[in-house]
Amino acid sequence: MSYHFGRGREKLIPYLLLLPGIFFYLLISVGPSLATTVYSFTDATGIRGAPIHWIGLDNYKEFLLMGQASRDNYGALGRTLIFSFFVTTIQFALGLIAALAVNQRLKGSNLFRTLYFMPVILGAVIQGLIWSLFLYPMGGPMAKILSLFGARSEFLGGQPVEAFAWVIIVQIWANMGMTMVIFISGLQTIPAELYEAARIDGANARQVFANVTWPLLTPSVNTNLLLNIIGSLQAWQLFLVLLGYRNGTQVLGYVIYAQGFGQTSGSVTSAFRQGYAAAASVVLFLLVLVIGMTVQTFLRRREERILGS
Amino acid sequence: MKNRIFMLVSLLIIASVLLAACSGTEAPAGQAGTTQAPAAGEKVTLRVLVHQNPPMVDFMTAFNEKFQTNHPNITVDMSIVNANDLSTVSQTRLTAKDVDVVDMFGFANAAQPYMKKVDPPNWQTLIEAGYLMDLTGQPFLANYAPNALQDAGTYNGKVYEVNLGRVIYSGIYYNKKLFTENNVKVPTTWSELVAACETFKKANIPCMTAGGKDGWPIFVGAYGLLGAIYPDQAGLVEGLWTGTIKWNDAKSLEMWQKMQIYARDMMEPGASGVAGDAAPGRFASGAVAMFPGGSWYASAIEAAQPDFEWGYIPFPGSDNPEDNKYLFGKYDQGWVIAANTPNKEAALLYLTEFSAKENYQAFVNAVGFIPTQPDVTLDTKIGQEVAPYLSNFHVGYEQYWVAPKGAGQYANPWASYFKPFGTYDDPQALADKVQADLQSGLDAVK
Repeated sequence: MSYHFGRGREKLIPYLLLLPGIFFYLLISVGPSLATTVYSFTDATGIRGAPIHWIGLDNYKEFLLMGQASRDNYGALGRTLIFSFFVTTIQFALGLIAALAVNQRLKGSNLFRTLYFMPVILGAVIQGLIWSLFLYPMGGPMAKILSLFGARSEFLGGQPVEAFAWVIIVQIWANMGMTMVIFISGLQTIPAELYEAARIDGANARQVFANVTWPLLTPSVNTNLLLNIIGSLQAWQLFLVLLGYRNGTQVLGYVIYAQGFGQTSGSVTSAFRQGYAAAASVVLFLLVLVIGMTVQTFLRRREERILGS
Repeated sequence: MKNRIFMLVSLLIIASVLLAACSGTEAPAGQAGTTQAPAAGEKVTLRVLVHQNPPMVDFMTAFNEKFQTNHPNITVDMSIVNANDLSTVSQTRLTAKDVDVVDMFGFANAAQPYMKKVDPPNWQTLIEAGYLMDLTGQPFLANYAPNALQDAGTYNGKVYEVNLGRVIYSGIYYNKKLFTENNVKVPTTWSELVAACETFKKANIPCMTAGGKDGWPIFVGAYGLLGAIYPDQAGLVEGLWTGTIKWNDAKSLEMWQKMQIYARDMMEPGASGVAGDAAPGRFASGAVAMFPGGSWYASAIEAAQPDFEWGYIPFPGSDNPEDNKYLFGKYDQGWVIAANTPNKEAALLYLTEFSAKENYQAFVNAVGFIPTQPDVTLDTKIGQEVAPYLSNFHVGYEQYWVAPKGAGQYANPWASYFKPFGTYDDPQALADKVQADLQSGLDAVK
């Protein structure tokens, strides 16, 4: 590969231009990540000036091997994977359907694009508030709908499985707009002539989708899948806002927050365990890394097979 | 060239790691006694941090105005945070030297000699890291009861917090009108409470409500059940740690059976969706017969419906009325001063004026705290309601409890584990699970 920045010292120009970005990336992202790894081997509380002791692998042993708490951590790990699977697949499918629908040149499609995307710009607190009101068990809209069928539910405050399912729904609602936008951008790069040619050849709508749209959406598919997987594996804010620290609902991201900031008790603030939370963060990072790399490898091969290298 | 670029990038990585690492170990610059007080008349902005509690915030706003009028050179900049965020924000602002006076909950959950491998509570870490000013010997401390200073604000023989009051959380508010209309006697035993709820349910009146959305109010509401069976809460914690008390023994099983009735039959459907600060309004609306909750809710009930007639009784968890005369609670809010404050004189002046009898009296009346100044009485309605039981005040279990590392998530006496809030509908199965989760931790730290 060659570039056009001349010869000799001028070759340095692109590297110099990259330096500020690299510096801030290292300072804001890589540095704290490495520091988190270092902290995971300590009993740090997060209080500056408090003594920090090197405790080796104790945090990891506690997180992975110590008593029922470690088995509860595996439960959180399992829920993280379940959450990620349902969020990724459903959000992906709904985002694609919505993109195909609003990408038509129909009256009002811009309005629907805005409506579908709107939840993305709301923060987790606002999203949580909206759904808490919607699912208010004493006369909220959903309770009224259920009452028409003679049923009732505690929704977010009831059975952990049901509460967990509602968080999946809210997560999808909150982020589906972003998936849709990425798909729309992919759809708009597909040349109109290809659709025209396919129709002239007699292809029906299903065949056009399977043989034109879907293959040429591959870059958007890859981007969406990776973003959805990584985003859902790291999710925790909606769990905090909608459920708080409730047995049978925690995912790994929320366990990290709760341990790091003393929110594990429910009624009193317990000690901040940021060394332990750092160890849990490293475990989550490894989980995201393994799943992310595996999926990325699969997607790259698929892309090469469909679009060529 | 490639080598030089590699060297540069490597240096940047090392520098960023060192920066991050150093930021975590920097000691606080100022210590108690080393700060310089501002000269008299110098303009000072006193940064005060309090947690969200509407009556307290209203009082503090009025107090700050009065304080500023008395001291024109001092401006009070008061920040308000959610109670759940107070600990995090306090820590962040103390370490950033961005606050002078902080509202901190009474010192609790200290490690006891029989507890193994537990982490010290945050207040202890903050003191040991030098962030809280040693207030020992300050003249305004003489206004407070020595036992309150000792129990809730002293560490290693030095006073770091002035505790401003106790709260009770093992009582039930009851709707006098509904009780009269339905010919229900105010219950003094568990059986009477069960019968009262049945009467109300037959009349299509929900028996109890609570702020279930916040989780802990369901547990706190049932505190009387725990207290009636284990009045010595410090002894309960020691017994659980040492194995002399088990959550699945016969005595505890009685508590779980009653907790199931409380969660399943007494609490109104939908209580899990009521936010903690909305529950007093729900009760004050007159729709519900009872509201198990803390004494701090009284002012919110009165604010919601000033003419609403209510009473407050200890939760009758036992069929022996004598067992139900205890009230359980905790030391609530207190003041600490940042050790590294540049406004030491103003901060001490602030606490001195706050501690003056007339101000403190107005404070407890506003927030409903049981005073920690011996010459002050709680003149409000809740004060009158709890007065007969105050000699039987006990600090509650969760102020002593520290879970052993490795204990499972069910190792607590919480009524919210039962349906419809949780997954359990068999008291014996839950009792066994809670004990197993606790035992797992106790075995792990042996």
